[in-house]
Amino acid sequence: MHTCTTKGQEKSIHVPTSAFAKEVEKVEGGEAINKCIQCGICTASCVVANATDLYRPRRMIQKIILGLREEVLSSDQSWLCLNCRMCEERCQEGVSPAEIFLAVRTIAAREGHVPRVFKEAVKTVLEDGWMLKDAYTDFQEDEREDLGLNPELHMNNEFVGKLRKRYFERKKAAEESGS
Amino acid sequence: MDMLLYRGCTTPVRLPAYEAATIAVLEKLGVNVIELKDTNCCGAQYVESMDRMAFASMSGRILALAEREEKDILAICGACSGSLKTNKHFLDHDIRARDEVNSLLAEEGLKYSGKVRVRHLLQVLAEDIGFDKIERAVVKPYNGIKMAAHYGCHVTRPYEIVHVDDPENPTILDRLVEAVGGQAVDYPGKTRCCGGPMLAMDEDVATTIGLDKIDNVTKAGADGIVTACVFCDIQLTQVQFGGGTSDRQKIPVLPITQFLGPALGLDEDMLGVELNKIDPHSVIDCCGVSQ
Ligand code: SF4
Ligand code: SF4
Repeated sequence: MHTCTTKGQEKSIHVPTSAFAKEVEKVEGGEAINKCIQCGICTASCVVANATDLYRPRRMIQKIILGLREEVLSSDQSWLCLNCRMCEERCQEGVSPAEIFLAVRTIAAREGHVPRVFKEAVKTVLEDGWMLKDAYTDFQEDEREDLGLNPELHMNNEFVGKLRKRYFERKKAAEESGS
Repeated sequence: MDMLLYRGCTTPVRLPAYEAATIAVLEKLGVNVIELKDTNCCGAQYVESMDRMAFASMSGRILALAEREEKDILAICGACSGSLKTNKHFLDHDIRARDEVNSLLAEEGLKYSGKVRVRHLLQVLAEDIGFDKIERAVVKPYNGIKMAAHYGCHVTRPYEIVHVDDPENPTILDRLVEAVGGQAVDYPGKTRCCGGPMLAMDEDVATTIGLDKIDNVTKAGADGIVTACVFCDIQLTQVQFGGGTSDRQKIPVLPITQFLGPALGLDEDMLGVELNKIDPHSVIDCCGVSQ
């Protein structure tokens, strides 16, 4: 990163310094990455960073800016973000680490780097239309009836089938044919 | 006032008491709650992480269903209200994305045009009904019991999209507590996440984050916690049962409508109080008794 401070050069601080940063910049949510000044307020306000040494949002943004593409995409780090948006609320530069990590996830997903729990959850949603079909048993139906609630949840699974075809299977086919 | 309840995936299965209490309280306050049928998951967290357009389509379909009914949506889960509002914002500003979503919706005669609003429960209580009306409806006021408010990240952030409350200093839950005779207590880290979304990836970290909040609430002297999101409610309850927590004094966690209900004279059975994992009677028995 440049650390120039003279007026005429100020803008160059904000220029993304790697091809990967430019790639992230183009994804919905990643637009503001080049504005990060690496101040670390995001890490300081992050509950995950507070709870474990394994997660540092500022450092992850730095790695993107430095162009460490493979390292960032293959690591679990972006998937550890809670998307709680505390960092986004606090960042003085208008950067949303939360949005950037979502953008990184979508790039990682395109290249097949998806943690197992996410893969399974998406598979469930795209089959059943919702998350908890298997968890919804007679027992819960009775609870709902006792509360005067409708035990029939009327969830639709046809629409997700169309989404699977349009957004997921096509991608997979493209991957497999190597295009 | 009619509102369409979008239940989402988790509330109806894991916390039906929240759904029941919300319907009972809102009907008591003059809102006619109608269930939105034939819905799907809003796409939060999982589909959201994989494909922007698939996510927008899942929420877009729910919004289009409400449009067909010509009524606003009531969302009671932070993730659902966050997703619906974020995707509404996206589809209202990106015409190409809207056309793409509509091309699939057209197959079942639906169309998204952005006509209905998404209202989180807190907006309905604070703005559509109003604190005055709630205060006037109290028949058994609380005796000043101390309650800590947990708002839920996606309920209040980002403000530019969700428009619920000041994200750095939210007050709606606190004012609701006080409207029915409780005392709202502040605590450090009030706007921090409950840790719930971390359960999928790292349960220990999720528990550390949740228990940190419980500790802060307890130190502030609260007798209970009120919530406005199903995931937060479940997470803040569940962390109190993990390993190494057996000698802890458990603090009851109540969805806000379950807390309001008794003060409005609603019967416990309608509020699903029996189903709470941490018995909330130490809280709800404090209404209608003198201070
Ligand atoms: S708070 Fe904002 S500017 Fe500072 S390091 Fe984090 S993302 Fe960059
Ligand atoms: S959104 Fe992610 S990076 Fe930002 S504070 Fe929350 S967990 Fe940390």
